[in-house]
Amino acid sequence: MKQTFALISTYSSDQFGICSALYELGGMVIIHDASGCNSTYTTHDEPRWYDMDSMVYISALSRNETILGRDSKLIEDILDTAGKYRPKFVAIVGAPVPYMIGTDYKAIAKLVEDKLGIPGFGFDSNGMQYYTRGMRDALKAVAERFAVERTESGEETGKEPIKVNLLGVTPLDFGMTGAVGSLKKWLAEHGMVCNSCYAMGCDIDEIAKAGNADISLVVSYGGTGAAKVLKERFGIPYVYGIPMNASEIAEKIGDRGGADGSKDIVIIGEQVYSLSLAEALKNLGIKARVLCQLDRVRDSKVNEEKIEFIYTPEEDDVIKETKEADLVIADPLYGPICGAGKLIELPHMAFSGRMFENDIPNLIGDGEQIYNRIMKEVKRSDEQKPTPGFAGET
Amino acid sequence: MLKIAVYGKGGIGKSTTTSNLAAAFAKLGKKVIQIGCDPKADSTMNLLKGKPVSPVMNYYRDNDREPESLDEISKEGYGGVVCIETGGPTPGLGCAGRGIITTFTLLEDLELFETCKPDVVLYDVLGDVVCGGFAAPIREGYAEKVLIVTSGEKMALYAANNICTAVRNFADRGYAKVRGLILNRRNVDNEYEKVKAFADEKGLEIVADIPRCQDINDWEDKGMTVIEGNPELPISKIYLDLAKKLLSEDGQSY
Repeated sequence: MKQTFALISTYSSDQFGICSALYELGGMVIIHDASGCNSTYTTHDEPRWYDMDSMVYISALSRNETILGRDSKLIEDILDTAGKYRPKFVAIVGAPVPYMIGTDYKAIAKLVEDKLGIPGFGFDSNGMQYYTRGMRDALKAVAERFAVERTESGEETGKEPIKVNLLGVTPLDFGMTGAVGSLKKWLAEHGMVCNSCYAMGCDIDEIAKAGNADISLVVSYGGTGAAKVLKERFGIPYVYGIPMNASEIAEKIGDRGGADGSKDIVIIGEQVYSLSLAEALKNLGIKARVLCQLDRVRDSKVNEEKIEFIYTPEEDDVIKETKEADLVIADPLYGPICGAGKLIELPHMAFSGRMFENDIPNLIGDGEQIYNRIMKEVKRSDEQKPTPGFAGET
Repeated sequence: MLKIAVYGKGGIGKSTTTSNLAAAFAKLGKKVIQIGCDPKADSTMNLLKGKPVSPVMNYYRDNDREPESLDEISKEGYGGVVCIETGGPTPGLGCAGRGIITTFTLLEDLELFETCKPDVVLYDVLGDVVCGGFAAPIREGYAEKVLIVTSGEKMALYAANNICTAVRNFADRGYAKVRGLILNRRNVDNEYEKVKAFADEKGLEIVADIPRCQDINDWEDKGMTVIEGNPELPISKIYLDLAKKLLSEDGQSY
């Protein structure tokens, strides 16, 4: 049956991708829906909820407000609350009911912005799309709105580290594993520095700095929108991938007799993460395919190692693929369709929420191919820049 | 790019007016897109010699997936006008307004404007601004001007008044503005005076005065606009003059 999930869980929705992406940026996020959605988000998909304050609200949309199209109540509530707390921005996040009546979130955001002088965003999410899309739209919006032109900070010596934007980092894909710290450490070990991280361990000022980078590293589908904006606005090139050390996973594969590369292995998960893992396993002599049910990047640069990639949103197709595979690397909630002994658990918060949050590994490390890709792209970008003083010389 | 939404009471002649206007723009050398926003899906019929384009909602119904190219949901008609119809849900079920918004989102995803690079986009919208979906064509990014088709009949003017009120309610949202009225005559007594009085009360201009004309019906029977059928007719000249006026206001030459 199409678009039906009878055995496995479903991924987090677009609304929560937006909330997760904006969580640390000091804005006020309002999910426009009947009460209930916020507890799903805070209970299952937002591990920062109890440790870090963030202004995430629900509008508590009622039946009459829906039928009558009474946007005024929402607008008044936002003006009242945002006027009081003065957030860095206001984001109105769509949900199924207002989606069905065609609520114009962007118009409401504009109205709020005009009245309060606080930047406003309206997101056409509807709870029927994946978190990947919500994250993409949210990070794209803040890049469009807040990122500013490159600012030079004094004399350049020519030995400055390469400044890298990390795009698409949220707990939904990386958990609370310390991945941001590891990514920054990896950059430092390779003579680079994190310029701006969209959007963990980051505030709105750091978002604004993104125009200063030499390159963007897109670490999930959620970072693709911002990457394109930063390229268009500031000419910052981008590459895809996560530097990964797959030895922990390879060991588990070895325990199942697959270390010699003889097993048919399929990785299920977010596209950039899964391809990066497959690439890291390939470096260890283990071949794996990738299956993705989520939004996927269609740019060939996302898969430079030409890993076998299957996209399908359908559960029936996943059952077929996992049946054919010898080993499946996936979230534990894929267990019911994998068959006994096949599953190597790799918890993914966007799929199983906080159920296995303590078991999410931090695989950041190695990643020589990623480094090479960055250097190649930076070099190409530098070659395309006009040389100062060259014009007119013979 | 000139983007216009055409509203008016049901049966007042919106589709006839819109498709003649589209044909007039095309006749003046402009690249035109006409999007019918009505479940009846008959807006563009007279640009297509009676061979209609399959509506977007039909595509969803028949294929249970999104179309991947514009070719699957559009057809080129007279003068290269790109014709698209939103269509609607199964009668009596679903939500037609939501269908319009879904169509617009799809057209954005398929990069309609980037691909066709139109000079003029016309939205022909069902009757009144009855719900959020039917206001979609006047949202920011879509039409910038609204033309209201009306006759001197009481109910047509009543609908025109409702449309004016709805559009003005959206003033602080950055939506389209009412550009003016198109008087599509039904030969009621003192018709011009009645419409002029309404226009004056609302501070609007009557941008065209279209007489009741048998030529329109005759060419419609052949699946054509009068512009295609005979651009030299006096009635064709009225549509061409309106097209020229709107292009001039938009700073476009012809």
